[in-house]
Amino acid sequence: MSNNANVLLRMEGITKEFPGVKALDGVNLTVKAGTVHALMGENGAGKSTLMKCLFGVYQKNAGHIYLEGKEVNFKNSKEALENGVAMVHQELNQAMSRNVMDNMWLGRFPKTGPFTSEKKMYDATMEVFEELGVKVNPKTIMSSMPVSQRQMVEIAKAVSYKSKIIVFDEPTSSLTETEVDHLFTIINMLRDRGCGIIYISHKMAEIKRISDEITIMRDGKWIATEKAADLEMNDIIRLMVGRELTNQFPPKTNTPGETYLKVEGLTGMYNQLKDVSFEAKRGEILGLAGLDASGRTEVLESIFGIRTRKSGTITLGGKPCRNRNSTESIKNGFAMLTEERRATGIFGIRSIRDNTVISSLHRHKKWGPLLSEKSQREDTQRYIDAMRTKTPSQETQIRSLSGGNQQKVIIGRWLLTEPEVLLLDEPTRGIDVGAKYEIYQLIGNLANEGKTVLMVSSEMPELLGVCDRILVMSGGRLAGEVDAKTTTQEEIMTLAAKFA
Amino acid sequence: MDERTPEKQPENDFKGIYKNVKISVKTLDIVIVGGILLMIALVLFGIANNGYTVSFDSRGGTDVAAQTDLMYGDHVAEPEPPTREGYTFAGWYHDENCQYPFDFDNTIVDASATLYADWEKIQD
Amino acid sequence: MSELKVKKPSKIDQLKAMSPKDRNRAIGDLLMNNAMFIIIAIAIVGIAIAEPSFVSVPSIVNIISLTAAKLPIALGVGGCIILAGTDISAGRQVGLAACIAAGLQLTTNKLFPGLGVMPWYVALLAVCAVGAVIGFVNGFCMAKFKLHPFIVTLSTQLIVYGCILLFLKLGTNSGQTLSGMSQTYQDLIKGTLFRVGNTAVPNYVLYSAIITAIVWVIWNKTTFGKNMYAVGSNEEAANVSGVNVVKTIILVFMMAGVLYAITGFMDASRISSVNATTGLNYEADAIAACVIGGISFVGGIGKVSGAIIGVLLLQIIFTGLTYLSVDQNLLFIVKGVIILVACAIDMRKYLVRK
Repeated sequence: MSNNANVLLRMEGITKEFPGVKALDGVNLTVKAGTVHALMGENGAGKSTLMKCLFGVYQKNAGHIYLEGKEVNFKNSKEALENGVAMVHQELNQAMSRNVMDNMWLGRFPKTGPFTSEKKMYDATMEVFEELGVKVNPKTIMSSMPVSQRQMVEIAKAVSYKSKIIVFDEPTSSLTETEVDHLFTIINMLRDRGCGIIYISHKMAEIKRISDEITIMRDGKWIATEKAADLEMNDIIRLMVGRELTNQFPPKTNTPGETYLKVEGLTGMYNQLKDVSFEAKRGEILGLAGLDASGRTEVLESIFGIRTRKSGTITLGGKPCRNRNSTESIKNGFAMLTEERRATGIFGIRSIRDNTVISSLHRHKKWGPLLSEKSQREDTQRYIDAMRTKTPSQETQIRSLSGGNQQKVIIGRWLLTEPEVLLLDEPTRGIDVGAKYEIYQLIGNLANEGKTVLMVSSEMPELLGVCDRILVMSGGRLAGEVDAKTTTQEEIMTLAAKFA
Repeated sequence: MDERTPEKQPENDFKGIYKNVKISVKTLDIVIVGGILLMIALVLFGIANNGYTVSFDSRGGTDVAAQTDLMYGDHVAEPEPPTREGYTFAGWYHDENCQYPFDFDNTIVDASATLYADWEKIQD
Repeated sequence: MSELKVKKPSKIDQLKAMSPKDRNRAIGDLLMNNAMFIIIAIAIVGIAIAEPSFVSVPSIVNIISLTAAKLPIALGVGGCIILAGTDISAGRQVGLAACIAAGLQLTTNKLFPGLGVMPWYVALLAVCAVGAVIGFVNGFCMAKFKLHPFIVTLSTQLIVYGCILLFLKLGTNSGQTLSGMSQTYQDLIKGTLFRVGNTAVPNYVLYSAIITAIVWVIWNKTTFGKNMYAVGSNEEAANVSGVNVVKTIILVFMMAGVLYAITGFMDASRISSVNATTGLNYEADAIAACVIGGISFVGGIGKVSGAIIGVLLLQIIFTGLTYLSVDQNLLFIVKGVIILVACAIDMRKYLVRK
């Protein structure tokens, strides 16, 4: 089916560095005309970064990109689009309150004289839709259509630009089975027309079904490119995971005690979370694994009450907790470290002291409602010392600290509320290796003190190295529970794909 | 997102009114310097055209000429009283309700103003 | 980003250690970020030379009194700006408070015929209650409906203006200027606190100082104040950290409403005549003062001292321009340009270099 002379896109030795981290290290990718090329890898393997380098969202530090033999270097995705390289995003980026054809022709409206022509636009849209077998009225408002149809519009837009390379980033994450079938029909049609398709997905079954070739990435490096027919599912998982656990975790010393936290039938109001039940013991570190958007974060946020629950009960040591909002949860002994530290964790322009004491201000009341500056300073200093936070002073703005030190400040904030249950969402995201080790130690110490720790992480070795048990989420449901001592990454990956 | 980006792009650092601002420092410098120059120009223009104007609203009486080019601290010269048929002139006031009489001897000018005439109906 | 950090004493050493390019940029930053202060300083010196009476005791006392009169409204608006919002209904709220205060203090009351002069504290409580209610509406709409502060306060501005006009039409007043307020009320506000030479310092300077001190304590020493800064700098994070965001926003606007009411209460007596234009454009002065004083639209940044400096500097410059006999119509344009430039400088300080 593939023909070596028919190379559409060649990316060679792409390297991208962010301060302190090499996100891509000499990655190669060759896409031939008339093939579907799957790009696979764990979270953080560098798939999206590679695509962002292609589309000019990031500027690569080294390497070359050739499109049909000519070297290209796009400055932004619009330029890429005009040169026949399109992307159907994971999260659709559309003007929701405008209609279908407005979205398709945005930025290049067909004109009659100086005026945009509705009729030309309509006809051109219908032409593309008929070609693709899409049954959508071009005058429908975007927001009134389901995700699958909006995605079709995005594909139609790519086709209308006469794109030769179309990148699909997790296109099936919110589609039903029949919608997936339709999508695959269209992808096959595009392939038959000679387009090169790059297909990014976590879902093994899909990959086997749709792709001709598979490139596997790990830790920002190119690992293998093979014919899809030559690879079995287990081979793919082995190649994706394939690293040895090294001595990057402190020894485990905590011993789980009696059952403490009970969560039953947790179901989300505005998200996919469905009927999640589990128990956690005192002094236990319970991991939550799963793919992106599998509902891991939602579990923690629903327990903490910053996401609305439809149903579900939470009991802590036999006492039911309602946890309707964060204030109530804090009172009930919960603490939550959020995933997006910058967006929902730190108060960037406030001082370290303000960031530390914000959740425990009631401890500092001295005369009536007045707060004591002295006790705030003491508490802050205590946690700067205990966490070994590196900062010039308490008055320093938190945003000038490194990611690891910011995380320590926020953990300090939560420890000051004297929590019994800590909900940690990606506690080591964006933190350098040394600081990671310190955070692991800290989590271990908390468990030693008899606190219950729930920890979400995308890095599987981290979960295996730190946790006692691991719950695996898949498609908003609990896919299974494994013992961290005996399980393997392969087992977790298989569970994570269960409902995906 | 499956990024290895150690720090997210700093755009999200702040919210506030400048959330979506995309402007270069150079452009801002031009705005700032331009604005300051405009301010200076306005003030110089104001000083060059200096002086306040006190106008007189005779309210039905004969017109009274406005006094222009008054400087800060100047006194307003009392004009010839206007006349109106059937009324006698009862002085100049700050306000239309004629509650605050204007004191020509002891009031200094610190803004442009309009004075209002008060009239008393002649009783037959 | 280094200019945002706490200034180390060795600023000059730091400059010396830089490469010429960096040094030029650092000096440029310093000049640009303080452009407003530099311009105002030059202007003050210029005016003092041209009109020596500008620096006389009566003139200085006058500037301080006017600063004191405008400080509470600036502090109210300042709180809203710290929340990364703003309040353009401030001026009209002052106007409404002034009308009500005057209406309850008239010796011959045309609004409520037969109603005598109410005790001053009744009038004060009444205007504060009204201010708190309007503030509650502002805050509630913003916190619950997530409406943009400009839109919410623009609506309340109109609503309040309508109320002022209706209020002035009560009884037999038919929209006229209110004047002739009771002597106790006049003395309470305008009475002499003490004298500097022959110039009397009015009582309201003291009241304003007390209010400022209270606001300082609230902003810096209470849970509410800490929460206000937290919500302003990152609402999402505040929500996660156990701050009641809705309550905080509503309380900030209610506090602002009360501060406007107090401003109006003092203004009615200070100007001695109140009509529908009282309070017009006060919010522009207040917002300008806050931004000049470093209360940033970024949210979460700003101090009471900043508001004081801002109001004082604006008052100095505008009193000064009056001494130079600049037409006040022109001053409106100057004021508008000052706000724009102050915002541009504020933006420049917190803009992330790409």
